[in-house]
Amino acid sequence: MSIETTHSHDESHDDHHDHAPSGFLDRWLFTTNHKDIGTLYLVFSLLMFFIGGSMAMIIRAELFMPGLQLVEPDFFNQMTTMHALIMVFGAVMPAWVGFANWMIPMMIGAPDMALPRMNNWSFWILPFAFTMLLSTLFMDSGGPAAGWTLYPPLSLQGGQSFAFVVFAVHMMGISSIMGSINVIATILNMRAPGMTLLKMPLFVWTWLITAFLLIAVMPVLAGAVTMLLTDHFFGTSFFNAAGGGDPVMFQHIFWFFGHPEVYIMILPAFGVVSEIIPTFARKPLFGYTAMVYATASIAFLSFIVWAHHMFTVGMPLTGELFFMYATMLIAVPTGVKVFNWVSTMWRGSMTFETPMLFAIGFVVLFTIGGLSGLMLAIAAVDLQYHDTYFVVAHFHYVLVPGAVFALMAGTYYWLPKWTGHMYSEKWGKIHFWVSTISVNILFFPQHYLGLAGMPRRIPDYSTQFADFNMISSIGGFIFGASQLIFVGVIVHCVYKSRKAATAQVWEGARGLEWTLSSPPPYHSFNTPPPINASTVAHADEAH
Amino acid sequence: MSLNSREDLANRRSRAVKTAWLLGLIAAGIFVAFVLSGVLGH
Ligand code: HEM
Ligand SMILES: [Cu+2]
Repeated sequence: MSIETTHSHDESHDDHHDHAPSGFLDRWLFTTNHKDIGTLYLVFSLLMFFIGGSMAMIIRAELFMPGLQLVEPDFFNQMTTMHALIMVFGAVMPAWVGFANWMIPMMIGAPDMALPRMNNWSFWILPFAFTMLLSTLFMDSGGPAAGWTLYPPLSLQGGQSFAFVVFAVHMMGISSIMGSINVIATILNMRAPGMTLLKMPLFVWTWLITAFLLIAVMPVLAGAVTMLLTDHFFGTSFFNAAGGGDPVMFQHIFWFFGHPEVYIMILPAFGVVSEIIPTFARKPLFGYTAMVYATASIAFLSFIVWAHHMFTVGMPLTGELFFMYATMLIAVPTGVKVFNWVSTMWRGSMTFETPMLFAIGFVVLFTIGGLSGLMLAIAAVDLQYHDTYFVVAHFHYVLVPGAVFALMAGTYYWLPKWTGHMYSEKWGKIHFWVSTISVNILFFPQHYLGLAGMPRRIPDYSTQFADFNMISSIGGFIFGASQLIFVGVIVHCVYKSRKAATAQVWEGARGLEWTLSSPPPYHSFNTPPPINASTVAHADEAH
Repeated sequence: MSLNSREDLANRRSRAVKTAWLLGLIAAGIFVAFVLSGVLGH
């Protein structure tokens, strides 16, 4: 491990001291280097975005017009289920782990992650898990089709392939838990001397809190799917009413995992946006400490709101009220964050490079999703909205122009650091504008569809929903196609761009990662860097 | 013990490994607790 690769002489300023292994397998299959593992995660995630994205295109094509035209209803259900499982567990989560791997050691002045061999294992489990999950589509009984929430009894009515789904979920869970353990062990033990907790960049803070959420809830999901497995194959009846079990119990367990899970996907996004906005506003982050406490409060509250996904199951009134008020409370720390981002920009010397455009797009559009969330939190009206396209609109606003935009913002922000080249600003901006316009054409009409009563997860609908569905599908096709621009920009930046990036890359950038060359040496910070006002990203003390 | 010396790194690494085992056990404990609550629940 890195004890062996760490030599005592000072090499933190020497780019050419140690190189990546030359063989392809040595470099990528056996790697323990946080930067290479970060790259693997990011490339894997991009691939999953396109696989999950093609499924979304099938869904939107079928919904383009009323009537059944392209696919069998059962296959449609497999598409909605697989799309969500792949986007959540294969695309968004691994992308954040990729960012964590690349950035956390560089941001806290550590030479690598604390447990590099486990790091390798965390990643390499994933391709096997997703190959297995995807292979169910080719099995006799087809892929899972009961929705990503896997509610029994429906999820137990599929065939033998369900065992593969459960095993795949177990593997993803193990991968996430190991990744989180690594993040926590790294942040708690590997910070450069002087990098106190309240000097850490917010991205590191948000990931630290996310990692605790993951460790707390991934085992819960594992427990839930294990019980589904034994109900399906071994005759137990955890969730089978006929055998004395309770299907609603599954929903409680699932959402005890599921709601923190949605924050797992968004907290690192909050972190990235909190890095980018100060850079391009050329002002320190407004309310650093408040941001840390807001993140922690959101994480805490995320454990006591789960039943807002279950307002319609027939809970006692006090339960409905408790979960309604607890849910609304989350809007307070979330509002603190939005306020702080806006205040950071207030009277800043702003410029609008692509990362900043995506970050601002995030703040505006994520907030729309937060507001529709508040509407859904009102138990009395959720009875109408639940399981309609209004819910679909809500979570796509928080996840696509929310989490995914933050991933894109972060990619544009750190790509010059990672590759040593500048990407094409012109094409980055085109990507931003086409994505932003089309994502709204795609998801905004779904609010109206939901309010008018169109249920989610159906391949056909009555004709009064036709117009908005067609608009939504057109937006979807444009949004899907515009992501090819993203790939084009990245490929061009990595292989073709001749414009070299400076170490600092952005005029307003602050923090340890910008003190390293672009690209950074294969092994960075073998000697801990000095921590002082000029190297701390945006702790209050630094300004 | 000087910073980043062999012992310093070994020390930090052994602390990291302890943190990892602790977190891993917590995760395993949560898993077992949830399944047991299902088993004992009826
Ligand atoms: C102000 C904050 C938020 C509030 C008040 C809120 C509220 C809600 C409520 C009440 C529901 C259930 C609606 C129903 O099924 O009838 C819901 C669903 C959902 N929310 Fe949020 N939400 C918020 C933020 C977020 C964030 C940040 C994310 C993810 C990044 C998210 C992702 C989801 C997802 C994925 C679902 C649907 C799950 C499913 O049924 O498949 N929400 N939200
Ligand atoms: Cu929720």
